[in-house]
Amino acid sequence: MPHQRLPLRFRLRRLYVTVMFAVMGRALQALSEVDRQSRREITALPHGFVFELTVMPDGPGLAVEHTGNGHLVYHRQPAGPVDLSIRFKHISHAFRVVAFQEKTAVSFASERMVVDGNIAFAVRLTRVINRMETFILPRALAKRAVKEYPSDLPITEKATTAARIYLRILTHPAGTPRTQ
Amino acid sequence: MNSQYYEFFCPVKVIAGHAALEHIPYELTGLGGSRPMIITDSRVRQAGLLSPLLTACQEGGLEVVTIYDEVPPDSSTAVVRDIARVYREQDCNAILAVGGGSSIDTGKAVNILVSEGGEDLTQYSGAGILQKPLRPFVVIPTTAGTGSEVTSVAVITDEHKEVKLPFTSSFLLPDAAVIDPRMTLTLPPMITAATGMDALTHAIEAITGLGSNPLSNAYATAAIRMISQHLIAVMDHPRNTEGRLALAQAATMAGIAFSNSMVGLVHSLGHATGAICHLPHGLCMSLYLPYVLEYNLDRIRGPLGELLLPLEGAEVYATTRANERAEASIRAIRKLRDQLHERCDLPRTLHETGRVRRDQLDDIARLALDDGSILFNPREVTLNDTQAILQRAWT
Ligand SMILES: [Fe+2]
Repeated sequence: MPHQRLPLRFRLRRLYVTVMFAVMGRALQALSEVDRQSRREITALPHGFVFELTVMPDGPGLAVEHTGNGHLVYHRQPAGPVDLSIRFKHISHAFRVVAFQEKTAVSFASERMVVDGNIAFAVRLTRVINRMETFILPRALAKRAVKEYPSDLPITEKATTAARIYLRILTHPAGTPRTQ
Repeated sequence: MNSQYYEFFCPVKVIAGHAALEHIPYELTGLGGSRPMIITDSRVRQAGLLSPLLTACQEGGLEVVTIYDEVPPDSSTAVVRDIARVYREQDCNAILAVGGGSSIDTGKAVNILVSEGGEDLTQYSGAGILQKPLRPFVVIPTTAGTGSEVTSVAVITDEHKEVKLPFTSSFLLPDAAVIDPRMTLTLPPMITAATGMDALTHAIEAITGLGSNPLSNAYATAAIRMISQHLIAVMDHPRNTEGRLALAQAATMAGIAFSNSMVGLVHSLGHATGAICHLPHGLCMSLYLPYVLEYNLDRIRGPLGELLLPLEGAEVYATTRANERAEASIRAIRKLRDQLHERCDLPRTLHETGRVRRDQLDDIARLALDDGSILFNPREVTLNDTQAILQRAWT
């Protein structure tokens, strides 16, 4: 891999993005298991629908598959064809987003990523990702990640859902994050 | 924000002004297009808009090989395939699209088929599929509004699945957009008003959305000024050539702005309303614009307040206190809607349209949430929000 010849700082940055994508992928799967509102959004996707969030030209990335009834399953890499892909044009853009230096929506609006696939589904998945972030991140960080922190999210719901998501992320046997 | 990043792209040559049509033979020949096909619709033909164009071509020594003038308002893959077949049979080598959004989108789609080959348009649907430039393509807009002459998108209905297929590629951009006041001189009052409001909405959403950037803002601000100065004047004097030219240029500038910074919630609601109630797009824009600006107000106060200058002029701007300018901008837009209502009965509420039922509002609210432009809205929109805005827009 050519990345190995990069200075340590850039290799660490890549590693950080890789780990964050793995956490996000698992968190999406966990969210779909514990949160009914997210399942309602996801149900509109066709059965077997595969969504990938990745970095050009060759990763890191994450993929989730809709396995029916609003449930998502995380894959480190998509096994087959992808229905919807959102690709960051460069690893540094992805880093800005997963390090909460730039909101996902702003990154998207300023064309730091390329969307290929059904836009209506992309809009839905963006809402699900936002919801996942509002649950698993501390409020201060979540406010930097999403456009608008929901005013109607009770603190108890946030805390219990977050706990259930984290429990699932930690106990899922789906392998460990890929490192270089 | 000091970390701002943006992209801005518009390689379309704009040929605008009096006798602009007469420049087409020179432009097209320069692009290697010696045998153009005209793609247009029956309204354009009936309004007699083709005759100055044909005369201009004839005088300029450019032979128009064939004319297809039956593009429907909602063009389909079948229509595109038919036109591509005629293009090939007649051995054409360039496309001249004349009309509104549908004719222009059809021209873009035909250009894909005749350049890439084949009969199946669906395989080119999506983003970034095209890899190389297409045939010479010149667009002549006839409805100062959509801005399609400067966008890299075409939307065509799939004849089998009844879904709308999007095509996105910078290769879809025309080589040139020709803006000649003769082409919009006979536009009926209602369409003039609605398409003017569409262009105004493009400019305002470009400035107040998440994708706003300095280059787009410059185009959008100039477009707002031109529309504010000329739309009512043209309603009162439809054959005002200067005014018509200004509105047509404003629509193109607003198109350049929004194709680089995208649109927001007004368009999400408008697309949903168009799909469910079959209302014209420009009318939908006019219906929702003030309510969406009120909804977004706290996030867009700064840029919206600055729009008071192009909307109302220096005097009003100067005498309005800085912290009240955003509200004054919304009032200016409401005033414009009232003036259009007086002149051509352009509806101001969903109820006034007579074509929306109250029990459809919930479906519109839900469908709007699936629209791509909602991603660029400054606020995160929920179902409660769209429902509330629709209630306010009802009466
Ligand atoms: Fe529009």
